[in-house]
Amino acid sequence: MAATGISESPAEATPRTTPAALELRGATKEFRLRRSRTVTALASVDLAVGNGEFVALLGPSGCGKSTVLRMLAGLDTPTRGEVLVNGGAPAELVRGHRLGIAFQEHALLPWATAYDNVALPFRVAGRPVDADRVNALLSLVGLEGFTDARPRQLSGGMRQRVAIARALVLQPEVLLLDEPFGALDAVTRRRMNFELARIWADQQITTLLVTHDVDEAVLLADRVVVLTGRPGTVRHVEDITLPRPRDKALTRDAEFHDIVDRLTALLDEGAE
Amino acid sequence: MSRSESAVVEGPSAGQHPVGPGDGTAPRADAEDGGKQPRRALLHTLSRTLSRLLSRYWTVLALVAAWAVWVRTRQLNQIVAPTPAAVFGDVLGHPGAYLPDLGWTLLNAAVGLALGLVLGVTGALLVWASPLLSGLMTPMALIMRSVPVVAMIPVIARVVGFGITAVLTVTTVVSFFPVFVMAGSGLRAAPAATRDVFTVLAATRLTRLRLLLLPHAVPAVLVGLRLTASTAVLSAMLAEYLLGTHGLGLLFARSVTFMDPARAWGTALVATVVSVLCFVGARAAERLGSARFS
Amino acid sequence: MNRARTTVLTVAGTLLLLAAMEGVGRLGVLGESWPPLTQVVAALDDPITRDLLGRALAATATAAGTGFVAGTLVALVVAVVGALLPPLQPGLDRLAAVVNAVPLIALGPLLITTVGREGTPAVIAALAAGFAVFVAATSGLGAAGAAHRDVFRALGSSRRATLLRLQLPAAVPLLIDGLALAAPAAVLGAVVGEWFGAPRGLGVLLVSSMQNFQTDLMWAAALSAAVISLTAYAALAGLRVAAARRFV
Repeated sequence: MAATGISESPAEATPRTTPAALELRGATKEFRLRRSRTVTALASVDLAVGNGEFVALLGPSGCGKSTVLRMLAGLDTPTRGEVLVNGGAPAELVRGHRLGIAFQEHALLPWATAYDNVALPFRVAGRPVDADRVNALLSLVGLEGFTDARPRQLSGGMRQRVAIARALVLQPEVLLLDEPFGALDAVTRRRMNFELARIWADQQITTLLVTHDVDEAVLLADRVVVLTGRPGTVRHVEDITLPRPRDKALTRDAEFHDIVDRLTALLDEGAE
Repeated sequence: MSRSESAVVEGPSAGQHPVGPGDGTAPRADAEDGGKQPRRALLHTLSRTLSRLLSRYWTVLALVAAWAVWVRTRQLNQIVAPTPAAVFGDVLGHPGAYLPDLGWTLLNAAVGLALGLVLGVTGALLVWASPLLSGLMTPMALIMRSVPVVAMIPVIARVVGFGITAVLTVTTVVSFFPVFVMAGSGLRAAPAATRDVFTVLAATRLTRLRLLLLPHAVPAVLVGLRLTASTAVLSAMLAEYLLGTHGLGLLFARSVTFMDPARAWGTALVATVVSVLCFVGARAAERLGSARFS
Repeated sequence: MNRARTTVLTVAGTLLLLAAMEGVGRLGVLGESWPPLTQVVAALDDPITRDLLGRALAATATAAGTGFVAGTLVALVVAVVGALLPPLQPGLDRLAAVVNAVPLIALGPLLITTVGREGTPAVIAALAAGFAVFVAATSGLGAAGAAHRDVFRALGSSRRATLLRLQLPAAVPLLIDGLALAAPAAVLGAVVGEWFGAPRGLGVLLVSSMQNFQTDLMWAAALSAAVISLTAYAALAGLRVAAARRFV
């Protein structure tokens, strides 16, 4: 069972049938340092995420995985190669307010309440605030009672829930998550993983999650793409066929641990 | 100037310690003997407040005491240096002699502060809007930061005319630069991740300014105001003194001329107190603002 | 690339500022009292004016320099005392704030009776510079991180050793920042001090030329004060850049 899940070549990072919602073709990113030296963050990365698929991009810190996400969000552009979202430039999706994003830093407005933070995308897009939608999302992330709380009054986990609700409020076609639970303690982080699994089961949005936590990647994703090294390259792609819904019971499952151990070993090798 | 913030930070640093020695023992003592409880608690609070005031203001009290001793031991003529008692007596005994001029000085400072605020924020917005303007204005901001504006009072008076216009120009220019600099850095201070969220939401420049950058700049602008509040009062007074327009500065000049040292020192005392109060007020506004906006 | 652009814009901005000063004077927008820059500079051709200005400049620079050094030393001693004896700290903070809030002009008559007309500019310069340095030193000595301080406490370091090995080095960047702000403050203090009847100095020249309608001389004096202020600031700001590399 485990053996069938492994695809040997990075080329198979492209899913078989559905057209890709997110796609990188030979994407290379170089950063310019001082005195005209450059450092290559990503070297010719191919990656495709199908419609409605949840892909986790797993790698050690500094392997360029956040750069992949930033290019897909239109925040960075590749030095060479192509980055496509729904077959077009990321900017098109952004212009249509159809992209949701959440970072490790919650990036909430400190002066606004949880409600106003979740309502922000409506205001930025110049649309009337759909109060029902905002309230529905706040209850989806389990914050019904905290609509009027300001970020500083919320715990770290709650802030991330607000950030995720904000990312979802405009019913985006694509959800990009950059280590959204990276700043949380292990227990809260695991609880948030199950929360996200539940929310995602409810919405089924094309999602790319960037993380360095192997358990998190395996718990949440349909596929895990392992990125290693300086410069970052796709080292391995793992299809996760574990049944959904995934809950706490899964973390005691032998197969789950198999996959986690194998991916951890891959990351370890990559680090040497 | 931009550093004066930390010198006078008091209350919260003392109050924020979750377990101070005093805070821990007070409730326990109260619980033990019920009957004397309120009086003991009151005494306790009183002595604590007193010792806190003493630990903070002993230097100021020592300064006043040294002044009294100095006048007495040197047997100084009252014209050279009046005793603290004479000065406090004059201020408390004839408040009417000070009030109109105090009003003028406060008005000069407040109008200058308001104009400086408006111009400073406008300037910062212009610089934000145009990188070209930003590059061109940087040297000016730098030069003005280190040019002694108050020393230019004679020049300013020559150019804009003597009288209240010159005083207002001085207080405006003095207030402009800290506000301009702080508002500018406030507009640039929004965290990168939040800016990225706005980029991904395809926010227009105006939306970004309205919903993200301006609220972010509020605490910084309030810091700028705190830095200038007392300076505005002091430079108003200096300009009034030099140019002979109504206000504490003129009152001081006249008292010196007419050999009324108690009044002259009283004017200095009033100005000191008012300048400290302006600082305290501006700091309170800053705390409120930063609690609201961060 | 970006830095070159900034440099170009900065130079352009400076030139624009000078051109604006010249233009306003040429066009007479603000009347007789705003002469063109070139006219102010040309006034220095006259050896008597140059001599007058030179002596005033020397007097003010001396007073400001003396005040700067004295004020800095006193402020540092007081800040270190506050750091070694924490109970004294709040009182010292208040004293500095109150001394800073005393209107400069109020000090004039007092100082004239105590240190005399000649000494007044330097003393006011010392007070103005000292406050800036004291504030910077106090926050600098508190700038060492909590983790660092815990390391020193766990090592059983004495208060003096912590001050020497941790707090003072950590305070250097903020301190130099404070010095950069103190230098213009000292120049301002010296000029204001000269308004109380000092025999010579840029402050004296500013007021007398204002009263005698010697516009060119007044501007020359004002620009001289600005130039020493700027030079002192720029020198210390440069020092700060160098120190930042070493201590941060």
